Amino acid sequence: MKRRSLLLSGLGGAGALIVGWGLLPPRGRLGGVDTLPVKDGEVGLNGWIKIAGDGSVLLAMNRSEMGQGVHTALAMLVAEELDVPLARVRVIAAPNDRLYGNVAAMVASVPWFHPSETESGHESNAAKSAQWVVAKVARELGINLTGGSSSVADAWDVLRLAAATARAQLLGAASLTWKQPASELTVKDGVVGHASGASAHYGELARIAAATPSGAVRVKSPSEWKLIGTPAPRIDLVAKTNGSAIFGIDVRPDGLVYAAIRHCPMIGGSAGAVDVAPAMKLSGVERVVRLGLYAGSTAALAVVGRTWWHARQGAAAIVVDWQQRPAGGLESRTIVEGLERIAKDAARSGGGFVFHSRGDVAAAEAKAATHVERTYRAPYLAHATMEPINCTAKVAGGKVEVWAPTQVPGLARAVAAEVAGVGLDDVTVHVTYLGGGFGRRLEVDAVGQAVRIALECGGRPVQLVWSREEDITHDFYRPAGVAVLGASLDADGRLVALRITSAGDAITPRWMERDIPVLAGPVDTPDKTASEGLFDQPYGIANQRIAHVATKSGVPIGYWRSVGHSHNAFFNECFLDELADEAKQDPLAYRLALLDEAPRHRAVLLLAALHAGWPGHGAQAPLAAGRARGVALHESFGSIVAQVVEVSIEGGRPRVHRVVCAADIGTVVNPGIVAQQMESAVIFGLSAALYSRVDIEGGVVQQTNFPNYPVLRMAESPVIETYLVESSRSPGGVGEIGTPPLAPALANALFVLTGKRLRELPLAL
Amino acid sequence: MEIVVNGAAHTLSDELAAPQMPLLWALRELLGLTGTKFGCGVAACGACTVHVEGRAVRSCVTPLESVRGKRITTIEALGSAAEPHPLQTAWALHQVPQCGYCQSGMLMAAAALLATNRAPSDADIDAAITNICRCGTYPRIHAAIHAAALELQHGASAA
Repeated sequence: MKRRSLLLSGLGGAGALIVGWGLLPPRGRLGGVDTLPVKDGEVGLNGWIKIAGDGSVLLAMNRSEMGQGVHTALAMLVAEELDVPLARVRVIAAPNDRLYGNVAAMVASVPWFHPSETESGHESNAAKSAQWVVAKVARELGINLTGGSSSVADAWDVLRLAAATARAQLLGAASLTWKQPASELTVKDGVVGHASGASAHYGELARIAAATPSGAVRVKSPSEWKLIGTPAPRIDLVAKTNGSAIFGIDVRPDGLVYAAIRHCPMIGGSAGAVDVAPAMKLSGVERVVRLGLYAGSTAALAVVGRTWWHARQGAAAIVVDWQQRPAGGLESRTIVEGLERIAKDAARSGGGFVFHSRGDVAAAEAKAATHVERTYRAPYLAHATMEPINCTAKVAGGKVEVWAPTQVPGLARAVAAEVAGVGLDDVTVHVTYLGGGFGRRLEVDAVGQAVRIALECGGRPVQLVWSREEDITHDFYRPAGVAVLGASLDADGRLVALRITSAGDAITPRWMERDIPVLAGPVDTPDKTASEGLFDQPYGIANQRIAHVATKSGVPIGYWRSVGHSHNAFFNECFLDELADEAKQDPLAYRLALLDEAPRHRAVLLLAALHAGWPGHGAQAPLAAGRARGVALHESFGSIVAQVVEVSIEGGRPRVHRVVCAADIGTVVNPGIVAQQMESAVIFGLSAALYSRVDIEGGVVQQTNFPNYPVLRMAESPVIETYLVESSRSPGGVGEIGTPPLAPALANALFVLTGKRLRELPLAL
Repeated sequence: MEIVVNGAAHTLSDELAAPQMPLLWALRELLGLTGTKFGCGVAACGACTVHVEGRAVRSCVTPLESVRGKRITTIEALGSAAEPHPLQTAWALHQVPQCGYCQSGMLMAAAALLATNRAPSDADIDAAITNICRCGTYPRIHAAIHAAALELQHGASAA
């Protein structure tokens, strides 16, 4: 297949470090003052920054805050370059303009380059030009997306330059006004001063600054940073401790009514005969709306009521003859068995799309002393964001207003316009705080549903809220996956050939079909998220063939925190542990021996070993009786993480006591938030490793709510420590990178305790 | 129906406020107190935790008739800007919230714990705070509760 034909193949999930496309000048993304509307007393300086009359800085925020701290991190970049305290930067919603699209996420999705080809300063020509082309396309498309752990990488050059340019204009204005050379001016806390005694805050200089050319602009060098690199407090913290933070479910436009939903319990099924009378008899119930299919949703009925409780009772009362989908009910057990068969067949026949190959695998295998082949499995998973799926919509006078906790406001606008039959310019989308995203809110199914309901509400706004049961049973699930891993070792136990053949549905083509149909091609192109974490591994293995067979199970699948890495890291890092055992070597030493050419990975692994007190590393504190350690190393989203997990078995169940995390994330913007995200990703990964699975029988998802889709609670939470490698590289991802290594590190630790290899998630002793 | 929330008496319309209506929906949709969150509807996650007569209850399964005339406190009245609850101060110090959605319930559960146990052990905290957080703020919540407990003991001995 020609590489050019694959250009748009992936977008949502993955990432190598963002390089090469940096050749496109960031100045082209500064935008004009006309992009960012001003209100009274405000002065726009570019597409990102306005100055308020009181001198505070208004930042056009194009990324959704779902816990990952992005509002704080991006505000820090701007505060740094403008020399204002963080508290003087106010975050405002970015308008709908392609300027605010996410270029980094799209560039990172280019599927066919091994990280060795995109290493900063050593990019292959093919990688450079492909990234350049994708970046150009991404800028044209301007898809505003918060995902793929890409926000800081995307903003890094642009926001710092936008702020530095604004600062240069403000200083230029002071220089003109006071007739003093700009080089003699100082800035402290947003106040420009001169030795002559002249002094003015940004608000007083902004009007003149807007008409003053910036001249040559230089962003600060790292040695000049005062804020970047510090654990500055999150800017959303107070609102999140007093109940005032507004999530999607909290918006209260005048005249609001509420809607509850009942989907066909069978995924992909439909509604036959419906008797709404039992619902309409209930007090507080206003109407029933039959819903079509929106952005991948299953057929459903919505009930509008005076409160959500009334609506929910109405939804429960409707009598519906639900119809199975024509292709028959989905069965997850059958699907996973099929994946195993497909992966094994492809492993024998050399099938699947080859994401990476090097050396001569067959020749190396022929010469090897030992062969090891293992099969690993991972289940479907739900996101279970704490804030249930919801969207508020109002359709009146040919205009649509949407309030949504969304990771993709532009896609929300598109589906709203389509459902309401209006133009894109007639739709306004308000992005609220997100009560968790984890990829679930890259979907806009509920937006389409809410707008459809609003069309029936006579101009009143309606808030659609899914129950937890509807959420768990109608998610876009992390796809199930199976991998057959084959290794050949020489007489010394060295890994000389690796052959991985995995099988599972590809997320990106399905997501494109339902969410950006204009980009969906007639045939699926290879999706990097299927093989990420396998084809791009750092280990120096001379002969490799890493392939994936993309299937189409019919189960709605989507991006889930760390996407393909979430299971591929488990497959790969558990298998490596098996090989170390086969070679009778320490698992840490075995990995280090394969990392001669990967100094960054080596350093991260050693840092984790040091702080964990791995035998032979750091201060040796004996483990408590009954405990064991396991290790895993994984690169994702341009960052490298190693974790050492300490576990015991209590009451027949694993109990994780301590997780030591070491990471190289490039330049650290806010180490406090990085530690938060590492804790978050570890606990998210631990929930999945110990408990999470979604089973589908007869098309019906068997898990429904937290009692039967359990997640980790306080009493099971380990101590989590985070150590960061100092680095001057561009920032890599943060929000997802701590999830992939957790499951394999835990499974490897459990092996030490039990002598049993666990090759399936969730881990069952 | 009349209920007393955050020190103020509210008369709810009988048309909407049925006796079996869960308190959660009356707070959020009849009174506009949106700080208390809906998470699961089955008392499994604790996002809807409020105080009734000082005790933590899960409002998604608490019928209005059971709290008639009782003293209800929500996150909006846990502290004030001028006088935050020691837990709110500790939450800031330890940078607890991420997405923030579960934090109202966490704070209310923690406040009810500290009201009866001024020096909770780790095990006390684990037993009392069974709320769910998908962002994994548990370790920081632990630390922040201990910090607030110390502050309360300090304040009490100073006073």
